[in-house]
Amino acid sequence: MKRLLSASALGLTLVSGAQAAEITIAAANMSTYLDPGRDHSNVGSQFYYNSFDPLIEKDYSVVGGAWKPGLATEWTLVEPTVMELKLRQGVTFHNGEAMTADDVVFSLNRMYQATFAPYQVRARDRLENFAKAEKVDDFTVRIHAKRAEPLWETLINLQQVFIIPMDYTMALSGDPKVAEDTDYEAFSLAPVGTGPYKVAEFVPGTKLVWERFDGFWGDAAPLDRVTVQLVPEVASRLTALKTGEADIATNIAPDQLALIEGDADLKAEGMLTPLFHVMILNQNHPKLKDARIRQALSLAIDRDALNEALWLGKAHVPDSHTYAEFGPLYMPDLKTFGYDPEKAKALLAEAGYDGFEVTFDTQGSYYTNGLLAAQAITEMWAAVGVKGVIRDLPKWTGNDPEMMTRNWSNPMYFADPFGSFGVMWAPGGPSQSEGRFNTTPAYEAAWERFRYGETLEGRKAAYAELMEHMKADPAVLPLYRPYESWAMVKGVTWAPKAGHIPYVLDFRAGAISVE
Amino acid sequence: MLRLVLRTALRMVFSFLAIVTLVFLATRLSGDPLESIGAQGLTTEDRVLLTRYYGLDRGMWEQYTAFLRAFTDGQFGLSFIERRPVAQIVAERLWPSAQLLLASVAVTLLLAIPMGIVAAIWRDRWPGHLAMGLAFLGYAVPNFVLATLLVLVFAYWLNWLPVVGNGSPAHFVMPVAVLSAGLIAALSRFTRNAMLDVLGQDYMRTARAKGLPERAVILRHGLRNAGITILSVVGLQIAGLAASGSVVVEAIFSWPGIGDLLVNAAIRRDYPVLQFGVVVVSVAVLAISALTDLAYAWADPRLRRAAAEAAR
Repeated sequence: MKRLLSASALGLTLVSGAQAAEITIAAANMSTYLDPGRDHSNVGSQFYYNSFDPLIEKDYSVVGGAWKPGLATEWTLVEPTVMELKLRQGVTFHNGEAMTADDVVFSLNRMYQATFAPYQVRARDRLENFAKAEKVDDFTVRIHAKRAEPLWETLINLQQVFIIPMDYTMALSGDPKVAEDTDYEAFSLAPVGTGPYKVAEFVPGTKLVWERFDGFWGDAAPLDRVTVQLVPEVASRLTALKTGEADIATNIAPDQLALIEGDADLKAEGMLTPLFHVMILNQNHPKLKDARIRQALSLAIDRDALNEALWLGKAHVPDSHTYAEFGPLYMPDLKTFGYDPEKAKALLAEAGYDGFEVTFDTQGSYYTNGLLAAQAITEMWAAVGVKGVIRDLPKWTGNDPEMMTRNWSNPMYFADPFGSFGVMWAPGGPSQSEGRFNTTPAYEAAWERFRYGETLEGRKAAYAELMEHMKADPAVLPLYRPYESWAMVKGVTWAPKAGHIPYVLDFRAGAISVE
Repeated sequence: MLRLVLRTALRMVFSFLAIVTLVFLATRLSGDPLESIGAQGLTTEDRVLLTRYYGLDRGMWEQYTAFLRAFTDGQFGLSFIERRPVAQIVAERLWPSAQLLLASVAVTLLLAIPMGIVAAIWRDRWPGHLAMGLAFLGYAVPNFVLATLLVLVFAYWLNWLPVVGNGSPAHFVMPVAVLSAGLIAALSRFTRNAMLDVLGQDYMRTARAKGLPERAVILRHGLRNAGITILSVVGLQIAGLAASGSVVVEAIFSWPGIGDLLVNAAIRRDYPVLQFGVVVVSVAVLAISALTDLAYAWADPRLRRAAAEAAR
């Protein structure tokens, strides 16, 4: 790796890393805690897969990859609501403890039967169908669902149920035989898993150092040591590549790509992030109760123009709330959302829109290009005669009855429509609970068929019904899937894998090589 | 002098209590962690759960007394987000910030005072014009522009200096240059003006008439008398830097300082970190002002005597 030219002159002692494979990541965001269970942020998702394993693995190299044995070597459905898993033998945690059924049951039940508030919150939106896990013998466990589960593998593969050690965790504070809240809090500062890299150092919000875990059960990690360092400024992240202080820089927006392509030392790898930036519309705001007004606000937005102007055309504008990652459940043919300013004008006239102000809330640039998109959207509204006003507020307003419209994101937490639209827009889920989205008995019935339907076709048909509901009575408009890149020095060969959730830095065997 | 020190200390205690209370109220006014952007997409039940988890379901008075009690256990409470003692979190950030501050002040004093003296003595000649020209430039260029420019030239193009963190002496060069530039600009101008006031005084003529060398006249009689002005400006500069000065510089150079910590704590509404962080900064500012007061008295015997009179 290239280092500072004047390093010796300045008396720096920089390790050249002659034989050892060591890299440094300049990261735009750094976690303040590391616990795969309670976290579902786009910051945390970068880190967990290097240090933790799921019971059921997946081929992440492609979209819709096949399930593979992970910490479980085989799994069979013994009843529609009971899955039995045989555990891999000879798996060791980073602290030297051997993994047994006790650890697996502990990890799963800390979520399925959560008592720690952050786990309860995380389990509610995606793991509610799971009653408990129980030990059959040292290397066999059974997972009990409340109802027949169409998404067994998907929901066992989740980051939130990656496996952690029981004895280690319970001994972190208080009574070493009891799992207390403080144990989980301590765990998130000193996390231990079974993955190919152990956390050697973690300074919350600043720095994370991984070292290769020699006791890993699978293919050995290709890197000896990885340092992830917070570098909040994009210009500094790119400069750090030039000075040799970093080898990979995260979160590079499209407008920086020309600079990287023009530089002989650097290159970029990018992908469409499996996440939608969306606009939400408050169905219960007194002035937006008429669905035609909200339809008009949605139809007036030329999302392709936003893509061209803000993302240089590299983002993806969807016709429906659907991702290619869903495999057979990807439904690009649904035409849920579109651009039709003439129809928007007609709908506004029909609904008797009298020129009242429509507010659009944003928190500065919390979302990349968020404020610019807000400005463009209010201009597009102006073109159909709507008076749009931006409210730039330093807080979340999705639960504020005054909120009319605002930006938000709907990440893909797992590769199923339930993992993105489902988490956000389920009956009784966050959107309804915050009072800006209503469900009808027909929506709830369609939801049931979508969530628990036994056939693929049945689930797809039900999802299409949910989308029709959203079209008729809009509460959300996916704007685009942003395109994000990672810049790196030429000696590093790495690219984000298409099958992961957003932002995963996968440095496992075969995923990265360093010259 | 002892009475003076005691009076200063007592004033500090009162200021401190007022600050602690104001900080508590101000953080509450800014909204709670469940209104921050981090709380997007929570159901009502989850909101209730987390409100209890953060201890925000307790009454205001109970939270206030808990906050005051937290000063006695040496941990200053637990961060809402990180769940580790606030004292530990702040301690991690305090020394890097202090290093940056001390280095910048040292560079400022070393350069600004000679520049000011030069500018005063040769005020109509080229050294004076050069010194003041530089000072105006330093004043006019905002620190983020200077920082970006330095990074572009010395790191991105030349690869001479590192941009990430505080790992070595070389890491100090650019951030210290950026922070000092504005301070030097201000202090050299104040020094020049103070020196100009002094240079025309009768005692300067007397000193020269005694046959003292010019060097001693300028430094012992001139600078010593201009000292009060210089001290008060330096005191204000250090206090300003400690209070807020380096947030932008910390972000650009990934400096793990207290400014970055406070900004993030404010965004997340991590009350315990925000409260204690602001208190630490206030204490630093109070301590610096108190030291400046005492330094005045040391520098000027008339002030010392007047303060002693008043204290009696």
